[in-house]
Formats: sequence, C-alpha cells, structure tokens
Amino acid sequence: MTSSRKLIIAGAVVASVATATVIATQSGASRDETRLSNTGLQHVEIRRVVIRSVPIRRGSLLAVRANRALYRLDRRNAPPCFGAGPASDVGNVGAITCPRGGFPRAGQPVLDFSVYESTRHDVRDLSLFRIEGFAADGVAAVEFLRPNGSVAVRVPVAGNVYATTAVPEGPVAGFAAVDEAGKRIERSP
Amino acid sequence: MKRIVFLVIALVVATAIATLARPAPASAGWCWPNCSGYGYLGPSTSTNNGCWYSSGEVCSYYGYWFNTGIAKTCYPGCNWNYQTTSMVLYGFENRERIRGRLTVKADTVYLRPSEVSMSGSLRAQVAWYAGPASQLNTAAIG
Repeated sequence: MTSSRKLIIAGAVVASVATATVIATQSGASRDETRLSNTGLQHVEIRRVVIRSVPIRRGSLLAVRANRALYRLDRRNAPPCFGAGPASDVGNVGAITCPRGGFPRAGQPVLDFSVYESTRHDVRDLSLFRIEGFAADGVAAVEFLRPNGSVAVRVPVAGNVYATTAVPEGPVAGFAAVDEAGKRIERSP
Repeated sequence: MKRIVFLVIALVVATAIATLARPAPASAGWCWPNCSGYGYLGPSTSTNNGCWYSSGEVCSYYGYWFNTGIAKTCYPGCNWNYQTTSMVLYGFENRERIRGRLTVKADTVYLRPSEVSMSGSLRAQVAWYAGPASQLNTAAIG
C-alpha cells in the first residue's frame, strides 16, 4: 500500500469519527438529562427475582398506588430494572423489565406496565385491564388513546409513577406522555 | 469369584443410589422456538396448537405456569432507545380471554400470571400485534 493511499484511509477514518461525534453531541444522545427524581419510599427485600442468573435481592419501593407496588430494582454494574407487584405483598415482584440502555431516556420518558386484554378471536383490538407504569420527571400525565387518536383516559403522574384500575371500556391503541401544559412529549408506537 | 460378585453388586447399588439421588427436574417448562435460539413471530406465525389467535401467535400447552418471559432482539432494527417497529403482546390466555403487556423494545421481560389477574391452567403466549415480524425467544416455567 502506498503512503498516499494510507493517508487517504487515515483521513477517511478521522472524518468518520469526527462526524459521529458531532451527530452524537448534537442529537442529545450524549447529554441525556431525562431522570427519575423519586428515589423511593423505602428499601425493601425482593423475593425470588433472578435476572440472567443474577438474583436481585434489594429494591426501592417507589410508590404504592391502586393496590399496586411499583419498584426500582438496582443491579450491580447494570442499569436498574423496574417491577410491579401486589401492594398487599411488598417484595413480591410479578412483572419485571430491565430496559436496555436504562430508563428513562430522551425519547423514552414512559415505561408502561399496563395490562391489556381481549375477549375476541377475530380482531386484534385490545382494551385496558389495568394501567400502571413509570414516567420521567416532567411528565404530568399519561393519556391512553383510541384507535382514532382521541383520549380514552388521562392518568396523572405523581412521584414518577402512574396507576389506576379505573379503565375505560373499548379499544385502546397506544399512549402519550404529556407535560404540565398538556403538550404531548412522546407518543408510543 | 466371590470378589467379582461383590463388585457387581456394589456397582449395581452405587448406580441405583446415584440414579435415585439425581434431582428431579425442578419444574416443567416450555420454550419457543426452542430453549436456546430465536424465532420470527409475524402475522402468519403459529404453533398450530389452538392458540387464541389462529395465526400471529405462539402459545404453550395448558399448564400451571409460574412465570413467562420473552427475549426480543433488535430485528429488523432498533432506534437508539432499542425500540423496534414490531409490537408484541406477551402474557397468558385461557378459553375466555387473552391478557398481557405490549412491548416494542429489544429487551428481556418477565411476567407472572397473577400480574394479569389470571390463575389456574393457562397458556403462556406471545402474539404479534403490529409491524413486521419480531425475532424473539419465549419461555415459561411452571
């Protein structure tokens, strides 16, 4: 390989790295300030939770609402997991997600744990059975939307958590996070 | 001769003890497409075993499940939040209803039947809900 060709390749590599750095810093990927300020009501012992062969024994109870307990589950050397379970049995976590890349993130201010159901085989319309989840600072409410885009129910967020068992009947097709002013920050796919 | 007989008897006894002492499988289980790989769940995928939806769903046999989970990959692609364009419903079903949680994320998630207020004999399920096929592995333990 001639020295001029080596120089061209080295220049191309440097240019690519510089471009990637600019894109990362301009897009906000490297300065994600999305956060959960709720550090938990109390630390609790978590029972029978093993993620990738590693047991999770401690968690922070972020809120108890609508007969549900919602947790942040801390892991060593990994972003925290999030879970929910019955409020009557704190420490018994029945649903767990360990979001890749962590939660919250810019562009993902809501981690929805809601349960959907259907009693029809012929269509894939889903209705809400229970609403619950986690939301980043700045999210004032989560709106669940009908297939036509209208709001089926609006659930307020307090302490980075939302939950209710008062769900509307009928099909739901996604949700949106809204801020204090009612502006939509993010919409689910 | 006696030594050989004793040796054979000792071997038989040792084998019997070893066999009896081996722990039984801790629990029943189900995996799709198998317990070590990924499959594609799209609108035409089916396990053909009587799932809630005749296509676009994979489901277990009826069992008393303790937990189910899915590991979904970035196929066919992820944004920088590890979100794909394919949505699945994962959870449980019986003859009356199908229930679960929706996700588009390339993540590993777990769910117990009690979380969807279901109990008794159930099928663990993952159903395609929107978008292209998802690449995932799902399993349930009972």
